[in-house]
Amino acid sequence: MEFKRNIRVIKALIEIRFQNLMMFRLGFFGPFFVDGSLFLIQLMVFQAIYSNVDRIGTWGRGEMIVFIGTFSMINAINMVVYFFGINGLPQKIKNGDLDLYLTKPGSPLVRMTFEKINPGSLPLVGMSVLIIAYGIHQLGKPISGVAIAGYLFWIILMTILFYEMEVIIRSICFFVLSNANVTRIEEIGLELCMKIPGIVFYGGYRLLFCCILPYGIMATLPVQSLIGELSVLGAVYGILLTIIFTIITRGVWKRGVRCYNSASS
Amino acid sequence: MNIIETEMLTKRFRRYKKQAGIAGSVKGLIKRDYEEITSVSELDLNIKEGEFVGLIGPNGAGKTTLVKMLTGIIAPTSGKVSVMGYYPNDLKNDFKQQYAVVMGQKSQLFFDLTVEDTLRLFKEIYGIPEAKYQSAKNFFIKLFHVEELMNVQVRTMSLGERMKMELIVALLHNPRVLFLDEPTIGLDSVASKQIRGFLREINEVKGTTIILTSHYMEDIKALCSRSVVINHGSKIYDGNTEQLFERYQKHKKISLTFDAPMELPEIGFGVSMISETPYKKVMKVSREKASELLSFLMKFNPSDISVEEEDIGTIVERIYGEEGSSPDEIS
Repeated sequence: MEFKRNIRVIKALIEIRFQNLMMFRLGFFGPFFVDGSLFLIQLMVFQAIYSNVDRIGTWGRGEMIVFIGTFSMINAINMVVYFFGINGLPQKIKNGDLDLYLTKPGSPLVRMTFEKINPGSLPLVGMSVLIIAYGIHQLGKPISGVAIAGYLFWIILMTILFYEMEVIIRSICFFVLSNANVTRIEEIGLELCMKIPGIVFYGGYRLLFCCILPYGIMATLPVQSLIGELSVLGAVYGILLTIIFTIITRGVWKRGVRCYNSASS
Repeated sequence: MNIIETEMLTKRFRRYKKQAGIAGSVKGLIKRDYEEITSVSELDLNIKEGEFVGLIGPNGAGKTTLVKMLTGIIAPTSGKVSVMGYYPNDLKNDFKQQYAVVMGQKSQLFFDLTVEDTLRLFKEIYGIPEAKYQSAKNFFIKLFHVEELMNVQVRTMSLGERMKMELIVALLHNPRVLFLDEPTIGLDSVASKQIRGFLREINEVKGTTIILTSHYMEDIKALCSRSVVINHGSKIYDGNTEQLFERYQKHKKISLTFDAPMELPEIGFGVSMISETPYKKVMKVSREKASELLSFLMKFNPSDISVEEEDIGTIVERIYGEEGSSPDEIS
């Protein structure tokens, strides 16, 4: 029942978002150009970094290209589906705009997640697919259907983990006035883990980027699964970590809503 | 049957008191001083189904905080609260399905789209079947006379039109309880009067329980048979609205504007002059003598006259000032 309602609401939110975006033609078409350009700049940075490097850890050029495509893909899904909705949460908490979400049936988080989908970032998904395909070609070995299915499973799981990280970081505003410094750590962590695969992290960095802020595993696990390098232990770790972060997200959100004090009128 | 019940309901907030200047900011990094604000204090309130109750009080009295606790937006610090048998802050869907809240300063409309678009979204949020949705929508379109506005971009509407639309959106799912927080704020007198008319009809026709917070006396007088006066978070009056104004609203404020400089003679009627310039005179007179005074003042051909009721602040002061009165005695 609740699931069906959520699906209906998500459909209505997507429709209303499209209608909203289409009210302004430049606003609708602009992001396709802007996001595409930013993506090309990012590719040039990767090109500059990896053109003179043959291997990183056990990974060669093909694996690295698949890795870059995979991180871009997860990030692009994030940008298309939920980033702009979830990113507005701190402001809604500060301004008391969450009031109207809390008083409506259904989950306020579901509504916020899907209310600002951004079709302008869709080309990024397409470009990421192209990079991944090129990377697979560079690998020079056949990839089975099972490996692709496993890869897609990990993409979905890591997208959920990415979403949970975003919700947790932004929910900090329920408890403190500003989460600006934490979002900076998020930005820096993402930027680093987008360029360097999780397999090269050791010691404290491994703890930080594979456990506390697990951006280091987000593209690494899907690639390891695709190329047949993912151990059973690694797979169990990835699934467990996602479950743990789901529980943490749920707890932080519920506690946050209880602590919510709105804003004076 | 009581639809809303509160017992010793209290909400306290903590706020940081910063000393002025850079030294105060540095000190705040190490040790912070907080003060506790009691926004609602040990409030007992019972509201029956179908009642139209006015919550009145000056700014900062605790009206909005009370509404936020009753709607589940914020959790009480202590005390009991039950709305339609639910503890509001549990935020159960069944509970949220049965009430609506309209906040004068917060809009639930999509400004770049039409009201029809917003209604479609709310139809899904509340899970209203298509036939019911159409019939409710048509009922409110007729009631509010807004046929021609349904397909107009919200941002192009006047404030009064927007408030009508906010009410339609809120009432679409036929709530049992409607919370209105300053719905006429910023509206001109014509729009306010229209909104009041609609609210009265909804209360009478649909039997919706309405809780209205306002510091506009006109809203309360015109709509609410019962008033609850709140000040500093405590209830200081709970009873008949007519009696409240009869007993505590003792004066009217009359403002006169003249096209040419005017020197008024000794007026009498027990008038006390609030402000006076050659072109404008503002005076206070007892309610009983107001109409007599107005007839007298018409002789001086003013270009404009306005008569205002005393504001809520004055009434609150008077309730406090009444010798030996306590909330229980005056309710």
